[in-house]
Amino acid sequence: MAAGHRKHSRRILLGGLSIATVVSSYIWLTNLPGNNPSLLPPVTDIAEAFYVNITKGSLFDALGASLFRITLGFIIGTSMALVLGCLIGWYKTVEYIFDPLIEAVRPIPPLAYIPIVIIWFGIEEFSRVLLITIACFLVCIVNVVAGMKNVPKVYVDAAATMGATRFQIFRTVAIPAATPFIFTGLRIALAAAWTTLVAAELIAAPSGLGFLLQEGRRYFLTAQVMMIIVIIGVCAFTMDRIFRTIQTRLTQWSEAHE
Amino acid sequence: MSNIVVENLTHTFGRGSPGELTVLEGINLDFTSGSFNAIVGTSGCGKSTLLKMMAGLYAPTDGQMSLDGKEIQGTARERGMVFQQDAVFPWMNVSRNISYGPRLRGASKAECKDIESKWIELVGLTGFESRWPRELSGGMRKRVDIGRVYANDPEVLLMDEPFGALDAQTKERMQEELQKLWQVTGKTVIFVTHDLEEAIFLADRIVVLSARPGRVRHIEDIHLPRPRTSETRLSAELLGIKRRLWDMLEH
Repeated sequence: MAAGHRKHSRRILLGGLSIATVVSSYIWLTNLPGNNPSLLPPVTDIAEAFYVNITKGSLFDALGASLFRITLGFIIGTSMALVLGCLIGWYKTVEYIFDPLIEAVRPIPPLAYIPIVIIWFGIEEFSRVLLITIACFLVCIVNVVAGMKNVPKVYVDAAATMGATRFQIFRTVAIPAATPFIFTGLRIALAAAWTTLVAAELIAAPSGLGFLLQEGRRYFLTAQVMMIIVIIGVCAFTMDRIFRTIQTRLTQWSEAHE
Repeated sequence: MSNIVVENLTHTFGRGSPGELTVLEGINLDFTSGSFNAIVGTSGCGKSTLLKMMAGLYAPTDGQMSLDGKEIQGTARERGMVFQQDAVFPWMNVSRNISYGPRLRGASKAECKDIESKWIELVGLTGFESRWPRELSGGMRKRVDIGRVYANDPEVLLMDEPFGALDAQTKERMQEELQKLWQVTGKTVIFVTHDLEEAIFLADRIVVLSARPGRVRHIEDIHLPRPRTSETRLSAELLGIKRRLWDMLEH
């Protein structure tokens, strides 16, 4: 226990040190004589951009718009992936029907769909949510299927010989056994959702964090660009942390927590 | 009232293909209610396949099996099975593993509690109720496995080398405790093993299968007095039977 504790504090200490080093190097660079603040804005400028965008309300608007798209796209995409992934992983017939389709579509980066989605649906909210949905669906389903297929056969046989029906085995054995895979899928989907969101907003959006990035580029507001990058980092990190916490709770049984 | 009858059972893997392999041939067996039976044979004789067929996990190519006159088709609660591998569900604690079967059939919380405390005590896991399987040793997990199958109240227990992966000392302890469970419950056990001493120590009757294709070569009734103890393992009678069966497996 004590050893584990020491390991933990060493980890926090070193992690904090590495972040502090990067930040202070940045501050040091911006303070060098001859630094061009339009290329490397000082931390004070970034803080000011943060303050200005908060008082204008533009940051909250952008954050609200982006989080709405992410949440909606993520929920729709991963729910579809969960349902279809479970069916594919559990029923051979469903697998034979959908597996070739998914295998064919999977290697295409979701960003490749941006032009066609814009042609079909215009620069609308629907298009952006659709792109995130596609991205989340594709990365998540692969993990769900893998999870269902990796359920150890002996657990399935054990449940069957205790009289479990096929559906009971699915519910009480396959789903819990696949939970670690499913959570990995959800977390990768979340990362894909952020990537797609920013790309979609950079290209076509009247609002959102990507829009603020684009605005910053257009008007040479480098401090604003930097600020948004930090905000995206913080949001994505926080969301991933939340998922990790839930995952740890739900998979306490797994060897990984020893 | 649990009589398993196997009639004319034959099983061929990959029938009709060049690699066709007959693992079991013309097996006729009758396991009487409440008896402890062992099936022994060299590896590859199909003893495990035979057991899994009785469990309903595979269908034989030919022949019939029945339990109490009812034809065996597919898995059912009446035929519980303990596997060689660790089959304890790692995502359930010890208690929930034990009451898994009853919960499948919608047993009430109170019923589950009773079943859990009864079987946890009988398999010697008191104090470990809320532990995760990963926190237990291999021998303890086997106890959970066995307790879980017993708690499901089957007619017959099919055991496929359940102690194969345990160290010698744990194995002997588990054999003694299994003997006790069998005496307490009076349920039919069919126990597959390649360990002759284990078979003689536990069983009333030993079925010796010949090597590929597996046929019933010999049936040995064991009359060692019960309860059998560590003394029994060293008795001349046990060693004599062991030598005789050993020769039979060799040739």
